[in-house]
Amino acid sequence: MKKMKRFASLGMAAIMTMSALAGCQSAPKETQPASAEGGSTTATTEAAAPETKKETGGEPVVLRMWGGVPAEAGPQEACDNFNELYKDKGIQVEYERFVNDDTGNLKLETNLLSGTGVDLYMTYTPSVLTKRAEGNMALDLTELIERDGFELTQYFGSMAESFYINGLPYSIPTKLDQYGIVLNKDMFDAAGIEVPTEWTYDEFREIAKKLTHGEGQDKVYGMFWNSQQDLCYLFDYLVAQTNGGDPLYVSETESSFADPVVLKSVELLNNMMNVDKTSPTHTDSVTQKLSQEGMFLTGKSAMTVGPWMVRSIKDTANYPHDFMTAFAPYPVVEEGQRNFTQGGYGDHLCINPKSQNVDAAWEFAKWYATEGMLPVVAGGRVPASNTYEASEVTEAFVKGAEEYLDLESTQRVLITPADNYAVPSITKRIAEVKKVAVEELETIFIGQQSVEEGMAKAKTRADEILNKE
Amino acid sequence: MKKFKLSKQAKIDLTGYAFILPNIIGVCLFTLIPMIFSLIISFTDWDYTQGIGNWNFVGIKNFIEMWQDEWFTSSLINTIVFAVGVVPVTVFLALILAVVIDKYCFAKLPIRLALFMPYISNVVAVAIVWVMMYSPWGPFTQLVKALGVENPPQWLGSTTWALPALMLMTVWSGVGYANMIYTSALQGLPGDVYEAADIDGANEITKFFKLTVPFLSPTTFFLIITTFITSFQIFAPIQIMTRGGPGTSTNVLVYYIYTSAFTFYRMGYASAMSWILFIILFGITMFQWYGQKKWVSY
Repeated sequence: MKKMKRFASLGMAAIMTMSALAGCQSAPKETQPASAEGGSTTATTEAAAPETKKETGGEPVVLRMWGGVPAEAGPQEACDNFNELYKDKGIQVEYERFVNDDTGNLKLETNLLSGTGVDLYMTYTPSVLTKRAEGNMALDLTELIERDGFELTQYFGSMAESFYINGLPYSIPTKLDQYGIVLNKDMFDAAGIEVPTEWTYDEFREIAKKLTHGEGQDKVYGMFWNSQQDLCYLFDYLVAQTNGGDPLYVSETESSFADPVVLKSVELLNNMMNVDKTSPTHTDSVTQKLSQEGMFLTGKSAMTVGPWMVRSIKDTANYPHDFMTAFAPYPVVEEGQRNFTQGGYGDHLCINPKSQNVDAAWEFAKWYATEGMLPVVAGGRVPASNTYEASEVTEAFVKGAEEYLDLESTQRVLITPADNYAVPSITKRIAEVKKVAVEELETIFIGQQSVEEGMAKAKTRADEILNKE
Repeated sequence: MKKFKLSKQAKIDLTGYAFILPNIIGVCLFTLIPMIFSLIISFTDWDYTQGIGNWNFVGIKNFIEMWQDEWFTSSLINTIVFAVGVVPVTVFLALILAVVIDKYCFAKLPIRLALFMPYISNVVAVAIVWVMMYSPWGPFTQLVKALGVENPPQWLGSTTWALPALMLMTVWSGVGYANMIYTSALQGLPGDVYEAADIDGANEITKFFKLTVPFLSPTTFFLIITTFITSFQIFAPIQIMTRGGPGTSTNVLVYYIYTSAFTFYRMGYASAMSWILFIILFGITMFQWYGQKKWVSY
């Protein structure tokens, strides 16, 4: 009996210790994204981790690169190309995907702040880039640029300087973003409407009306605003074309919510959703969790905002459809109000200042920005560097989807670079200002307050936040 | 020799400590130290991207600012409405169900199990299913339509109905747990008292209110305190189903704390709010603890 007891307690102790061990083991894994795409690379990255610590001794340096794009949408192929090219030079790179949302970025930042788990990573928005540059999460590239004579303006034009933080380069811009309306060309043809190259809000509204038909579950909408995902599209894509890169601000201490262009844009959305009913209402979007894929690619809407869904348009296995997709610039308030091209640089490639392989990371960054990006072009990302041929890029862009993507409008709207981009410069308390905007816009779009009331409230609230010391 | 005698007790103590050591270490590392840390940073303006140590002490500024912050006050009100709505309904419903199932039901076990299922189901999965239930094609809208309402409410898309919709879901998922606690308490009720009541001619309703309710009052007390605390900490369904919207209608305290910390990067302010939340919960619990003398009979 006594023996039994002792045996039992021994067993208990063993179980307890084991669970403690299991606890230790699972902890570091949590820092790796366990997403479906990232999952397969996790093991190799962990195995590679100790190797990078010792740079000498013939062992190749293994860089860890974090990005928000699923590995199979191009980054893996780009990294494979690099590994092939640099296998004799002793640099290898491993790609790790983080999901580009609040939680994913938090995970990345935790890794950056806590140590050397990441060598290179992508930053997707200027406000986050500022945060990371000022928070010592991104390396100041000045020295490296001078050492190698790799002037950013030489490859990316003077717009590269717009993405300097406090006058210093903390990233290499790699992607050129030009946005536009994604449209179903077959529906336009059927309605006898040409793919627009220039249009105003009123013309846009009329076209949406013509494209809307049907009732209930079978209704085809002219436009889908994708408002449940982000209501600030409205500012970034419509207002920015007339007012420039800071569509939310008049100045550091004043929000733009009383600006006539802003009010007109809010009215446009409100009218289309609630008056013309040419677009699913915000309530519909939220309560039914509508998605762009579910609306546009199933033929339930003739237009939507874009063009980040190119990835899905080309993925005919998951989103089977048989129509041609074309692109048009976003409409402007009135004729002659197109002062800026909606677009700019994205995919800011940063180096972790705590990385032990800064030189190798810099090599990769240079190569990726100027030579390595063609595999990711197929996933809808246009390179920012002028080292690529436009035709070569267009070809890679529509590759495998020649029957689904209209070549001419793709090249014109998304690929051919412009010289008047709307570049952001103010980021003061932007998260809070956006939250105010989203809350008031929501209340407007569900019909509980008028555009004037809501935007006046938004202005008071946002200005109060901006003027808090 | 005296020394050794002393160490016998010490030895027993040490063994005890050794056994709880793994747990103590865990509590220190993951609860105690972060708590103290959060208390310290609640007096700073820390933006966590600036790294540890990069902060200025601002005194009680954070604690004053929040009362002028519309987001804070509205989220506090939403939280109170939520808790005050959810707690009594959950507890009362659970009590009725426990008694009814115990007395009048066939197949007690499967029914209790079915009630308990939501409690052990994954919150995320439950929330997503409920989003579909509240959609215009879902049962709630169809039911209201069938009752002849022309414009059924948009539930999660409406500033009026979003919070009640979330409350209903929370009641649904919490009632099974409360029901189970009640059921086990029912097993311990003294049968002779009920027999005496029968002899005196008491009917079922009288027995329920005069005997069952008082007998179960310690359980009710326990449930009120625990459900109150959990409903003050509601977060996951909000994050998944409404993200605080539409407008500010479902922005609750914990969700706003999360937003300030991880969207606005204002860790100091968020910590200050967390401590206020703690003080509120502590205050309410103490109040209930003293109040119990009036109505709980052991």
